[in-house]
Amino acid sequence: MNSVAAPLLSSAWNDDAQVLGEVRQVAREQLAPAASRIDQGYYPLDIMARLGEAGAFAAHLDKHGTRFDLALGSMHEISRRCGSTGFMTWCHDVCGLYMEQSGNPALLARLDDHAAGKTFGGTALSNPMKAMTGIEAMALKAVPVANGGYRVSGTLPWVSHIQRGHYCGLIAAVDKADGSRSHEVMFLLDLDERVRLGKCPEFSGMEGTSTWSIHLDDYHVTPEQIIADPVRPFIQRIRGAFVMLQAGMATGVTQGAIDSIHEVEPSLGHVNQYLHHRPDELQAELDELQDRVLTLAQTPYETDKAFLIDVMDARAQGAELALKATQSALLHQGARGYLMSAAPQRRIREAHFVAIVTPAIKHLRWEMAKLMKEEMPS
Amino acid sequence: MSATSAESPWRLYICRACGLIYDEAEGDPDSGLAPGTRFEDIPDDWECPLCGVTKADFEPFERPDVSAVDMGPVMVAREPGILVVGAGLAGWGIVEAIRELDTETPITLVTACRGDRYHKPELSVALSRGQTPDQLVRETGAEAARRLGVRLMAETFVVGVSAERHQLRTTRGTFSYTRLVLAQGARPALPDSLPAALCWRVNDLAGWSGLQAKLAEGPQRVVLVGAGMVGCELAEDLARAGHRVTLLGRRAYPLASLLPEAASERLLHSLEGLGVTYRGDVDVTRVEADAMGERQLHLADGDVLTADHVVAATGLATDGRLARLAGLDFERGILVDPETLQTSQPDVYALGDCVSFGGVPCRFIEPLPAQARAIAQVMLGHDAAPYRHQTPVIRLKTRSLPIEMHGMPDRYASWQVEHDDDDSLVMSQVRDGRRLVRLTVGDAPRKRVA
Repeated sequence: MNSVAAPLLSSAWNDDAQVLGEVRQVAREQLAPAASRIDQGYYPLDIMARLGEAGAFAAHLDKHGTRFDLALGSMHEISRRCGSTGFMTWCHDVCGLYMEQSGNPALLARLDDHAAGKTFGGTALSNPMKAMTGIEAMALKAVPVANGGYRVSGTLPWVSHIQRGHYCGLIAAVDKADGSRSHEVMFLLDLDERVRLGKCPEFSGMEGTSTWSIHLDDYHVTPEQIIADPVRPFIQRIRGAFVMLQAGMATGVTQGAIDSIHEVEPSLGHVNQYLHHRPDELQAELDELQDRVLTLAQTPYETDKAFLIDVMDARAQGAELALKATQSALLHQGARGYLMSAAPQRRIREAHFVAIVTPAIKHLRWEMAKLMKEEMPS
Repeated sequence: MSATSAESPWRLYICRACGLIYDEAEGDPDSGLAPGTRFEDIPDDWECPLCGVTKADFEPFERPDVSAVDMGPVMVAREPGILVVGAGLAGWGIVEAIRELDTETPITLVTACRGDRYHKPELSVALSRGQTPDQLVRETGAEAARRLGVRLMAETFVVGVSAERHQLRTTRGTFSYTRLVLAQGARPALPDSLPAALCWRVNDLAGWSGLQAKLAEGPQRVVLVGAGMVGCELAEDLARAGHRVTLLGRRAYPLASLLPEAASERLLHSLEGLGVTYRGDVDVTRVEADAMGERQLHLADGDVLTADHVVAATGLATDGRLARLAGLDFERGILVDPETLQTSQPDVYALGDCVSFGGVPCRFIEPLPAQARAIAQVMLGHDAAPYRHQTPVIRLKTRSLPIEMHGMPDRYASWQVEHDDDDSLVMSQVRDGRRLVRLTVGDAPRKRVA
């Protein structure tokens, strides 16, 4: 199937059902057949461009109505067919969110192309998100320059959905003269010739996510690239939305696994009945989780502690459910699902990724425990 | 499958190699077979879209009769056992009550604290006794877990629950349960004017231990905010331990929300006799720490108090998060059936400080054993004598002036004096010839005669 719909105007994105229908169609007709190839290394920018035209990357933006439910729905449909592209959808979505929430006119001017999937950008916040909750140290250092902006140096090990000509959101630490931390600055890194991209070692899956190490040596960040300075209030505000959007990856991969179980029910149901985690049970848990996520999606920029815990709880449950459902799908399909070209074995690796990508299950639990601990005078 | 017309129904063929099913109705559009392509019309060089074998490796497929054994609702197929949330007196109380009846049922105890067992009322008198946290622990959580055959999940926070799926999500993983017992307690309700980072709370061993460690350094200035039962008890304890204590209350006299004025007045004189300064009719507007770490309490009347430590005793509230997520009816506490202590969800029970009976919480130790017994019996299917909730006897642990109250006073009913001399005051509220409350302040007259 390679039918290509006519290019859509952005006004067509106003209709939720139409966006979801288009995204579902592109996912089913173009992504599903390519999923195995993407898993092994094909970076599907052509299909992502189609998804962008359909409105898959725009709905959560304020400019397009802050419809996080629709953004999550699109990510769900994409991840259902291909977890790698689901992950890149998340990267692309949060990159758009950084650009818009920055309020920086220079970045806002670039937002329309980004939202439509005409240009591409990712996110490199894994290290800083962990650093800012005390899990590890900041990898990038920034030094202010006299005429505005910063000079940034350092290395980030793996950043996805990037290549030469793309861009991504980054955070660097700014230190005082005495070496103590002053603050952090966030900016959009344009991946031009000043940036060295290093090849990553081979992963066990999701190789088509175009993941590279980034090496910066006195890279000059101009005021036009600044997303937030200082960054902490900004991160505080977008944190819930950032984590919440990942739930779409988890629910999509889970739904894909349930689909695979149903697929073999006619031929294998008589023996599959002896397995744990049957499709109805998984679907019931998934439905309940999705209901909760959709409620949270109504107030994506809430910063209240209880809300953040709810978001992290849903994200962690999604990861656990994806692990459980994908494992079950392979058991249901048996040898057929174990073929290198089969979706169930690929989805197990996708679910492992959902469980370990920042914030991983362990980070979420650490962070929730920290938030829930009663504060006492020191 | 049977023909409904002259046209024969669509048939299915299964790939013997990989199990893919070719459905004539759907065809295989990816390799050019339009929906409705009969199997016999498929070219011989067509390949299985999944594994690549040829048409010859397909055979007709009949859907087998899939009739699984009905095991009822999907989630109760396994018996994960009883899950208890909270390891205070209520949590360990329910564990012991279950173990008295049944030594087999798996029990998991999830708690945010270490799970060590101590007698909470002692926190109100332990400073003046010179006790340390170690001395208050009667049995560590790990010891109790071994003795009672319980899986203890200590320092584990509950983050979510699905009553429908019988699942509890925590910061150490997700647990299934057959029955869930909530003994989560109540938390200090801090007004915004009292920041948690600057004000101690004495509601559990961890909170008390932090304060105790600081006060062990020597006599210090302590301001206690809140002159309810806990505030008055701690004021006496802190004063006896040698600290300079200021007790702040919103009313003219301490404990005035519970006691008639004549009794409050005696309590005030007793506290003052111990060196406590009471300031009534005050509101704290904010608390700050200065560069030296001293606390500055700003009062609504413009006054500023300086202290080494601030202790908030501003009451307790049940955190409604779990109840909200589990869909439990909640009104100032988790609403429970007054006889079975079952919540509004099946297989979920609650006891202790976190519950409310018709919107009225009851945060006392005395009813806990009876509540635990009732729940254990109902859960384990024993013929149970229903729980009968009664207002517990209130005894204030103010040694210099014992206060004991039977019954709960009615704010609008008037008090009568039954006995009044220098040593004791006995008062009561009577309605329709029936005594609602009897209050004894000081040593009971009878005791002194004897």
